[in-house]
Amino acid sequence: MNLKSKRLGSDIPKHVIIWLIMLVELFPLYMMIQISFKDNAGFLRNPWFPSPISEWNWSNWAFGADLILPYIANTVFVAVTGTAVGLSIALLGAYFFARYKMPFSNIIWAAFLVLMLMPGVANIVPLFALLKSMNLLNTLWALIVLGISGMQVFNTYLLRNFIEEIPKDLFEAAEMDGASHLRQLFNIVIPMSGPIIGTLAILSFLGAWNDFMMPLIILRDRELFTLGVGLIYLDGEYIKQWGKIMAAFFIASIPLIIIFLFTMKLFVRGLSSGAMKG
Amino acid sequence: MALPISRKKAIKEWKLYLFVIPSMLLIATFSYFPAISAIYHSFFEWQGGDFKQFLGFDNFTRAFGDRVLWGSFVTIGILVLANVFKLIPSIFMAVLIHRIASDKWQYWYRVLLVVPMIVPGLVTLFIWKFFFDPNLGVLNKLLDATGLKTLLVLCDERLFHWGVFQSDVPVAWLSQPSLIIPSLIIWGFPWIGTVGVLIYLAGLQAIGSEVYEAADLDGVTPFQKFLHIELPLIMTQVRLSLVLLIIGTLQGFGLQLLLLGEHGGAGGRGMVPGLWMFNRAFVAGEFGYACSIGLILFVFILLLTFVNNKYVRVEK
Repeated sequence: MNLKSKRLGSDIPKHVIIWLIMLVELFPLYMMIQISFKDNAGFLRNPWFPSPISEWNWSNWAFGADLILPYIANTVFVAVTGTAVGLSIALLGAYFFARYKMPFSNIIWAAFLVLMLMPGVANIVPLFALLKSMNLLNTLWALIVLGISGMQVFNTYLLRNFIEEIPKDLFEAAEMDGASHLRQLFNIVIPMSGPIIGTLAILSFLGAWNDFMMPLIILRDRELFTLGVGLIYLDGEYIKQWGKIMAAFFIASIPLIIIFLFTMKLFVRGLSSGAMKG
Repeated sequence: MALPISRKKAIKEWKLYLFVIPSMLLIATFSYFPAISAIYHSFFEWQGGDFKQFLGFDNFTRAFGDRVLWGSFVTIGILVLANVFKLIPSIFMAVLIHRIASDKWQYWYRVLLVVPMIVPGLVTLFIWKFFFDPNLGVLNKLLDATGLKTLLVLCDERLFHWGVFQSDVPVAWLSQPSLIIPSLIIWGFPWIGTVGVLIYLAGLQAIGSEVYEAADLDGVTPFQKFLHIELPLIMTQVRLSLVLLIIGTLQGFGLQLLLLGEHGGAGGRGMVPGLWMFNRAFVAGEFGYACSIGLILFVFILLLTFVNNKYVRVEK
């Protein structure tokens, strides 16, 4: 018996423990999926195991789709617009900080960094008043603008570090050819920073997708609800049809599942780097 | 590093400033202005509109005599302490995955870890709220099915006299005042934090297999390996997540708002400072007082951050 197979053999208890923990961790998801095919009576009769396919209650899914799809559309609009515009602005800012030590750039940088340490909790109440005075309450634009400004510090920070790593000769050569800064940004920075932009895009998108506090404060009309508020209102219904609610929950997760399937590597890496903020 | 630039060239390159102006305007309007506005309005009676009345330090004297606020700080203290212990499963998980010899399995476990992340956080929370439901909820069904309920009832009757668990009454996790804090702690069991595990794994990557082989030759036990090889390497990450977690817990109130409502549940036992601020502003309309609560919390967290940076230095 060689050393390798010996190690493999001794790994089996570890695999077992990992699977046990993961089973408990994924148990809520399992319950969500299997309950989404039952009505309340079916759930009471058989809470733990999936019902046979012939008894699956698809009307739950029809109900969930009707309810959640408009919320998803609003959320996609907010998250995509916010991420695209926010990242573009952060890219411009990062380029400013990364190219030259311009006069005052240190002071501006400090103003950015301070925000990383500052707890934002005290801002919520004045933000509400500010949005009210800007006539942005009860609009999706409020969420987009807040999303864009909220992602500036972290994204600018990471993008600046990345742009500074790009070899300086590339910029100098472009400057010789008379390329403007905007052209340098498009032809040098963006082609080289595909992976990091992808990672930041996923993190920003996730942030917008999971946000519920600001939407809860800002939105009043049902047709403007994003996923966060929509789910909160669904949870607040007095008589609960759990099957329907679970189907709605599952539908709410589908867009992220699709993104996840296509960008698994970026996702895993993005989440590891996202935790490094601060 | 950014290149140094002469004053003359900088003037020629003035257009570069246009690049940073959008971000600057955004953070000035939506981060700095609200912060200053919070400080300013904490000295006023204010209902969010144009009308306001100067109060001096009245809001702050009121806050220091506010029993709900004091109680909320005690509650958040308990939750912070519990959350610190809830870091342990993630560390354990990261070490376990790291010790798996097969790279392929390591990759797939990472993917498996990310799976809970693709469900919106809110959904996970609401599924747990459903688990806590006294009549339909899975938690009570589980306690009944495994006989743990009988054990809890026995403990209650014979040993502790909590008066919380009774044999024929379903446990009301979120509406029995003395169960609210335990419920806030046990939700999310087994507390595997995806992001946490992934950054610990990144830290553990630095250990070569020869270190383990040497340790094996010396007959080191698995726990000693953890203490002397693995833990020192991820200490930076553990401290970082500890700091982020403490700050996050202190200023967070989404969990309490969603599980218990804006009054912090039965008897206000789940009231935390952030939620009290939210409650004062959006339930009572006392924006000025809410600003001063926010400010007290803000200063508290900032002080803690400074103490942390000073004494809990992360040495490389």
